[in-house]
Amino acid sequence: MTVKQVRVFALVLWTSLLTSAPGHARTISPLEGLEALRRGFAGLSDFTADITQEKRLSLMKRTMVMNGSLRFKKPDLFFMEIAPPFSSRMLLKDSVIEQVSGKDKTPNRIVLPPEQGLKQWFVKLSAPITSLPDGVDVQADLTNAVYSVTISPQGKGQVKDISILFLADGTIKKLIINERNGDRATMTLKKVRRNVGLSERDFRLE
Amino acid sequence: MKDFIMPLFKLLKYLLPFLLLSACATVPTPPLDFRPGAVVETLLSAVSLSIHSTERNMSASGYLVYRRPDQLHLVVLTPFGTTVLEAFAMGDRITLLYPSKSIAYVGRFDELPDKGGLQGWSLMRWVMDADPHEGNLQNGTVKRTGKLGFSEKVVYGNGLISSKESPAGDRVFYGNYIAVNGVPVATEMDLRNQRDDRIRITLSEPEVNTPLDAAVFVPRLDGMTIMPLSAIEGL
Repeated sequence: MTVKQVRVFALVLWTSLLTSAPGHARTISPLEGLEALRRGFAGLSDFTADITQEKRLSLMKRTMVMNGSLRFKKPDLFFMEIAPPFSSRMLLKDSVIEQVSGKDKTPNRIVLPPEQGLKQWFVKLSAPITSLPDGVDVQADLTNAVYSVTISPQGKGQVKDISILFLADGTIKKLIINERNGDRATMTLKKVRRNVGLSERDFRLE
Repeated sequence: MKDFIMPLFKLLKYLLPFLLLSACATVPTPPLDFRPGAVVETLLSAVSLSIHSTERNMSASGYLVYRRPDQLHLVVLTPFGTTVLEAFAMGDRITLLYPSKSIAYVGRFDELPDKGGLQGWSLMRWVMDADPHEGNLQNGTVKRTGKLGFSEKVVYGNGLISSKESPAGDRVFYGNYIAVNGVPVATEMDLRNQRDDRIRITLSEPEVNTPLDAAVFVPRLDGMTIMPLSAIEGL
């Protein structure tokens, strides 16, 4: 996994976690959209959700669909499980990713740079957002009670933009990643439950 | 980077043979409702990949497209669905495309690093030589001289190839055959090489012999930095 890949991974994770937060604005400027996410996230200790992940490949007239679930607990625990036939489990503890697939018992382990760890991202969220982050363009809107915040990294990297759709009560609806090659990855969250009292025992690969 | 790439090399070395064997292992078998003589000309499938090597382990989901005899497009995904790697093979040429780095490594199979002591293209051709037994053998083991000129051991079960073994000790096992539009396809493939590295591939909902656009097998290199395959080992 390259450094850029890790950054994308961290950005995706960060933004998806943020979307557990409620938003209040009727008319959303980019800054207001981001701040609404951050503000709402302050009241979150953990959440769980079922997910459907779709990968649309631009060159092929077919979409790959995977189902599973995810869990998060502040400040640095994230777990995602994909159901058969693509069975896999991924656990992120701050800056260490462990992943097992199918019947495998030995996890694949990836250590991220310390600055990419989950804790670091939450440190950045400790203060209100008063200016747009460097290196990204942000768009936000509110349509039929669904908030949409789209973050577009500048430059010509792999990711064209990341969009998060969520309701005012903080329920995440979708996470959409558009790649510059035309591919699109969509994660739809269902049955989102916040602050359910997850413990570290809920974040094990075995 | 190197730790990540090397398992992918191993994957690429073995994935093509797997696909080709899927195409070749179309022996009529009683348990399957098949069309006699039907073979895999094209294959599209979501895949789960698992690699256990002496160096490290790796697992991922992805997608592949194959056209007989030697065209392949493999997409390997991150847990969030973005693309880690695209591999394109056509003839003796292979392109490894890393979108996150905007780099494409281009060259011939024999220019790939060969840490496992195997030459990917030769292995691919070896696996291609998997025609049904001339005597319509249903169950048994055959030792034969393959089209590449060396001896090999092929095991048949219910008319389908269940395993092969090369003189170098590489072994590949095939399981969970299904019939797709009458064409038998092994949806589980497990390869163990002489170093006891293990690569397992599972196909999900494969589509067989559907028309494919030629563009599917052509890497899009716009905006990519083109590098020789020999450069990849130094990264």
